[in-house]
Amino acid sequence: MRDRSFAPSRILIYLVVLLIAAAWLAPLAVVVLNSLRSNEEIAQGSMIGWPQHWAWSNYLTAWSGFCVAETCAGIRPYMLNSALVTTPATIFSTLLGAIAGYAVSLWRFRGDTWIYGIVTLGLFLPQQMRLLPWTIVLRDIGLINTLAGLVLIHTIQGLSFTTLFCRNYYVAIPHELIRAARIDGAGFFRIFWRIILPLSGPILVVTVIWQFTHIWNEFLYGVTFTSGQQQPVTAALIALSAAVADIPQHGVQSAAVIIAALPTLLIYLLGGKYFVRGLTAGAVK
Amino acid sequence: MPITTTRRRLLAGSAAALALPAFARAQGAVKPRLTAISQWSAGSDGAAITALGKKFEEKGGVWQHSPVPGFTTEMMNKLRAQIMAGDPPACSQLKGPEIAAWSKIAPTVDLDAVVAAAGYEKVVAPDLAKLHKPAGKWIALPLQIYSTNMLFLSKRAMDKAKADKIPVTWADFNDLAEKMKAGGVASPIANGGTRPDDGQKFEAALAGISPAAYRAAIMNLDKKALEGPEIKAAFAQVRKIADWMDPNVGAQHFSTNLKRFVDGDMGMMIMGGWAQGVLRNAGFKFEDFTIAPGPSDNGKPVFLLNADAFIFWQRKEADLQAGQTLMAQLVMDPAIQTMYSQITGSIPVRTDVDLSGEGWSEGQRTTSAALKSAIASNQALLSMAHNMAQENGMTAAMIDVITEYVKNKTIKPEQAATRLADAVEGAR
Repeated sequence: MRDRSFAPSRILIYLVVLLIAAAWLAPLAVVVLNSLRSNEEIAQGSMIGWPQHWAWSNYLTAWSGFCVAETCAGIRPYMLNSALVTTPATIFSTLLGAIAGYAVSLWRFRGDTWIYGIVTLGLFLPQQMRLLPWTIVLRDIGLINTLAGLVLIHTIQGLSFTTLFCRNYYVAIPHELIRAARIDGAGFFRIFWRIILPLSGPILVVTVIWQFTHIWNEFLYGVTFTSGQQQPVTAALIALSAAVADIPQHGVQSAAVIIAALPTLLIYLLGGKYFVRGLTAGAVK
Repeated sequence: MPITTTRRRLLAGSAAALALPAFARAQGAVKPRLTAISQWSAGSDGAAITALGKKFEEKGGVWQHSPVPGFTTEMMNKLRAQIMAGDPPACSQLKGPEIAAWSKIAPTVDLDAVVAAAGYEKVVAPDLAKLHKPAGKWIALPLQIYSTNMLFLSKRAMDKAKADKIPVTWADFNDLAEKMKAGGVASPIANGGTRPDDGQKFEAALAGISPAAYRAAIMNLDKKALEGPEIKAAFAQVRKIADWMDPNVGAQHFSTNLKRFVDGDMGMMIMGGWAQGVLRNAGFKFEDFTIAPGPSDNGKPVFLLNADAFIFWQRKEADLQAGQTLMAQLVMDPAIQTMYSQITGSIPVRTDVDLSGEGWSEGQRTTSAALKSAIASNQALLSMAHNMAQENGMTAAMIDVITEYVKNKTIKPEQAATRLADAVEGAR
């Protein structure tokens, strides 16, 4: 083993991997460095550079200082809004997707493939196309401009993805297992809770990571279906970057972007090792 | 948070509903309220609208502003959703020909009486006024003006070129650029690489060569004018400008190069008046640069207008109606326009505001003087690059041609002119 790790081909592979990693991480490095430079320093110098004075105040401004119109509370309240939407929407869409995937893979019924096909069709519809239908739905049920409305949107739209992944994962589970359980008198939900769910670790981690990241980073619905103080963190980030008559606030923007990325980063760090495992498990079968 | 907002709204709504019959008799007693949406959230834009809100509250109103961060598209999505939900904002930010387009989607407020009472019409540039009364009645009010074709000259680049005369015509401009190049200025033209940048170069060239051709071809889409010699001349001028630019600016904001501009590494910048605020906020001094109207071959300033405005949507609630009247009065008020422009760095819409006092910069005074002179000589035009001359789709079709021309130096001016005319036909 030792010999092999120093073989020229190995070194070449590592070199290539390192190069690719460097290319991928370069923008992050610029953002991290800029988050510690003052706006004046960036404006009077260049976008890329080493901080001359550590401007830690950028993080304070980003967290609780900068103004979005009349409110000067930084990114903090918008982080909370995003959490209030993302957490329930992730849980609901994952659970419902697991149940749906379980139903179409292990409880074959008439038209099950059609239903599965129609549900996953949602993956191919562009977001903009669904904007007006959602407007009408939210208007009719009175959830326009509420966070609950966003939770509903993301739960339903997430179903396409979660159903697809869970179904592909559950297809590999032997039908005998289900039959045995049914002979023992277990019903649809008992089998789900007692047998399927305990087997679902990797795929649930995948869907949670996927859903959390997508909902957290979503902007279009977030900005269209909320107003003022209810907006998600992505709206606050854009607010920080879209001033016309000002020098772009690169320092504070960078700090805010890093803070806003932390929750998704955390989810990846916690569940990352299951992520690839679950993805491939779902893809191969 | 959502719960409190909803509850508050509900309470306010039911209170208003209960009180409605009483107010029908005594309209004056209602407390004006305004729901407004705009893109203005951060920086000086955010500060300016917040200050306007304070004034609204000082007059006894209830100010409910929801910023929609991002670009125009996001705000339009939001506006569409609100209109479809039957809850349009009492007023929203909208500009240019989009005012006419959107006014067909939902009923707007007839502002003729308020505008007449304020005597606003005679102090607004005629082409600008037209945009705000698409069917003959005022339904929207312009708030502030930027020029998109101001010329910024770097002091250090001027020193390198041993020049001190501000160019008036395009010939002067080209002459100065050559001198700068010879004097060691790496890129005589400073620019960014965002979408409107190339459009601004073209509109400045055409309007400077012939304001009449600009009006006919770009504002009125006259087929003959689009094939006229002025368009080819404008493209030829844009080619010169492109050759003097740093080509490595893809998708960059123009502010990225301000340091090189001030250092004299870049010489001239054709940019909106807002750039002076950006230069100031970036920590540069007014001594570092000079501002002048963009080149004009007939010697009189040409002014390409970009104006922000508010459109007013019909509401039945008495308090919102009172709020709309109050808002309209405030937007037209010279003191409010002064306050607003002094925060954002724009100039007032009203041509009768005196800019000689404190709080105004030399750049703003130059811009305002240029506007007055341009109106007098019928050379105050609507900017294409900033969606004032045409609706978004048409503008996009034009800018596609211009951007390709700027980047691809094998395209001849004649070819570009034909392509522009074709693009206009296609988007019509």
